[in-house]
Amino acid sequence: MTESISNLWSIALLVTIPIFATIIVNLLFNRNRAIKYISLISALSLVVITILSPYGFQWFTGQPALNPNTLTFTFDASIPAWRMALEFYFGPLQQVLIFVMALILVLVIGIATNGLTKNQGPYIGMIFLLFMSAAIIIMVNDLYHLWIAVEIGSLVVVGVVAASGEGIGQKAALKYALFSALSGAGLAIALALILGLTGYSNISDAIRYIQTTNLAGMSSILYVAFGFFILSWIYAGGLVPIHPLKSEVYGAAFPHGTAMLQAQSKLMLVAIGLVMLRLFGSLPFAREVMLSISVLTMMLGVVMALLQTDLRWILAYLIVSHSGLVTVGISLGTYDALVGGLFQAVNDVLYMSVLLLGCEAVYYFGKGTSTKTAVGIAKKAPWLALAMVLGTFAASGIPPFNGFQSKIILIQSALKVGLPEVAVVILILSVTTFIALFRGIYSIFLKPAETTPLAVSGSVPSEAQEDDKETPIPRGLYLSLAILVVITLILGVYPDLVIRFLTPVAQAVSIPWYP
Amino acid sequence: MDPSELRGKRGILAAVALLIIFVGMMSSLVKLSGNVNPGISQVYNILAFLVAPNSLSTWLYDWRGFDTLLETGVIYVGAVVSVLVIGRGMVRMRCRQGEPPVQSPPLEYKTESLTVILKYFGLPTAMLLVSYGILVVTGVSTSGGGGFQCGVIVASAYLLTTIFYGKKNPINFGKRFLVGIGSAGWAGYALCGLPGFLTTGYWQYNLGADLWNLVAPIYHTIFGDPFRLSLALQEGVFNSTPGIIPLLNIGEAFNVIGAIGLIFFAFIYGWSDSPADQDTEGGKGE
Repeated sequence: MTESISNLWSIALLVTIPIFATIIVNLLFNRNRAIKYISLISALSLVVITILSPYGFQWFTGQPALNPNTLTFTFDASIPAWRMALEFYFGPLQQVLIFVMALILVLVIGIATNGLTKNQGPYIGMIFLLFMSAAIIIMVNDLYHLWIAVEIGSLVVVGVVAASGEGIGQKAALKYALFSALSGAGLAIALALILGLTGYSNISDAIRYIQTTNLAGMSSILYVAFGFFILSWIYAGGLVPIHPLKSEVYGAAFPHGTAMLQAQSKLMLVAIGLVMLRLFGSLPFAREVMLSISVLTMMLGVVMALLQTDLRWILAYLIVSHSGLVTVGISLGTYDALVGGLFQAVNDVLYMSVLLLGCEAVYYFGKGTSTKTAVGIAKKAPWLALAMVLGTFAASGIPPFNGFQSKIILIQSALKVGLPEVAVVILILSVTTFIALFRGIYSIFLKPAETTPLAVSGSVPSEAQEDDKETPIPRGLYLSLAILVVITLILGVYPDLVIRFLTPVAQAVSIPWYP
Repeated sequence: MDPSELRGKRGILAAVALLIIFVGMMSSLVKLSGNVNPGISQVYNILAFLVAPNSLSTWLYDWRGFDTLLETGVIYVGAVVSVLVIGRGMVRMRCRQGEPPVQSPPLEYKTESLTVILKYFGLPTAMLLVSYGILVVTGVSTSGGGGFQCGVIVASAYLLTTIFYGKKNPINFGKRFLVGIGSAGWAGYALCGLPGFLTTGYWQYNLGADLWNLVAPIYHTIFGDPFRLSLALQEGVFNSTPGIIPLLNIGEAFNVIGAIGLIFFAFIYGWSDSPADQDTEGGKGE
């Protein structure tokens, strides 16, 4: 963080454009054409801003920092001084993560505004707020604001899931609303303890205070704060033991909505994980706790995915399982592991979006997404089948796709720190991901239609009976799939396109691993 | 959740987890007691009076004013999500029939059962509440209170009249009005940040107060003079201006009235987006 600019224009726009877009589309309510154009323009503007923006800080409300050495106020962000203002930072990591999220936002907005019925306003507004909450969480350098963003993020998840209006969605949404309150509460308590201990809600200032002050008997407060942070991390990202709850959320939302939900969740995991690493990384056993949760999440998520017979639910559990891959890298905390974990977050968002949008396309054949009812689709939609197979390759870490690159870095970094068992779990995860996904994709796309048990009375889920009607897949959905598949392939061949954005943060935050 | 699920091993685990959390928290609070580090709040407190005599107001709407924008957003989003769960803005995939959306029916209650005294005292009480709400929001710079409190008080008046007089009540907020005022409130609050952004690059810089002399005097006149305060103290007459703080509070008040009013409306009347219901609920449709 060497940039000196403290009034970077892009940060304010990345936060406020989604707010204004949300308010406008919510007011427009059922004027779908206007909603479509306004939301697409807003989403595209976010992509452009992310690409064009230089790096720097935004000190919201324009309060300066107090230099403790000279007791003078300064607006130069490169001087180590106590921040009075609420600080956001936009750097290479933020650029790449927010760009990916904005890209998914554009695609999702395009799909949602074409594929949903009337009264889209509030739902599209929620999609924008998902972006906003994730962007804030990844940019903010303030504990108090991090908490508020997590609160909004959790509420918006409830809205996106409940918008489907189906019983399963309502149930999942209300359950999540109840339990996600714990995430916010955990973070609030952690914030209060750190604020009480250090006097600073600015994360860099709090860290500087902890590093330069002898805490003596007060250091146990840091452990308690770490415990509450862990609680918040678990709930925000759907890690073990609340993985079934988050999976329900992913499975109950529309697949395009899940693409945004999982992107938001990955960004939250990265942001909160990095804050934890900076604040508590040097505490004994802190990273071991984080690593244990991550490994358990990987294993339990993929086992649950193997048991599912609906593509939607297979993906829901795999998303949770692959969240563990991201957090393994952050938990190890070494330079290589951090690069691998952050790269995995980017890759995961991209290839899961391929699979989720493909899952959305399966609905257009009128048989739902169950592997028992939707069969033989490859004949009708060979390009869709190809996209799903390529998405599966990427998710399973098969070269030359992006998933391979990040997983190999994670495996190497686990071996480097002397944890071959973690490397083995990552390998097993890759293989089982392939099995779980290919089992579903074989049934839905490749299995001949005549072997379907549809004709057997009483064996057909009600969804298939109700929806026995084919609708042409919109071109926009195909285009979105093509864009995402091409990106997964390019990043698989040229991983440095992303990795060079991740190395500065990895260098700044990394801590050696002591076995 | 069924409480019976917490029996046996689960219950023991839950109890142990709660005990650990309780012990951890209490030990931390005991250690912090009397040892809380004032940190940056010292600087905040030293400077706060230069903006508004009510220091809390300066804290919430100037130093941490962007936090408050997002907190206001939590209320807005909370209302939109609550009403969405009840039925406003549910969507379906065009290609998929699926099950019909879950709709919440209106509450069944009768206003005829209220006593005459309640009916006659309801209206003046509601008028007093609304007046008090306006007093609270206009006095934010000099006394305790603010936009949130005003919003809650006015929304309470709305709930009171709805319970006493039914749909045709004296504060006849319709659903379009409530959505509109809530949106206008949050948008208004957010827009208050734009002038500071355009002139200094800092979003929500308080141009009226201009504590750090970043803008030309014309902006003090536009954003500061309308709310200028002159306090006669023992030490002499003290002049200051809270700048955009009163505007932020008005925005927040609108947002809270709309958000909480909308939740009351939806829970009492249920929600239906069908054309037949558009003019029968709350007087106005959407």
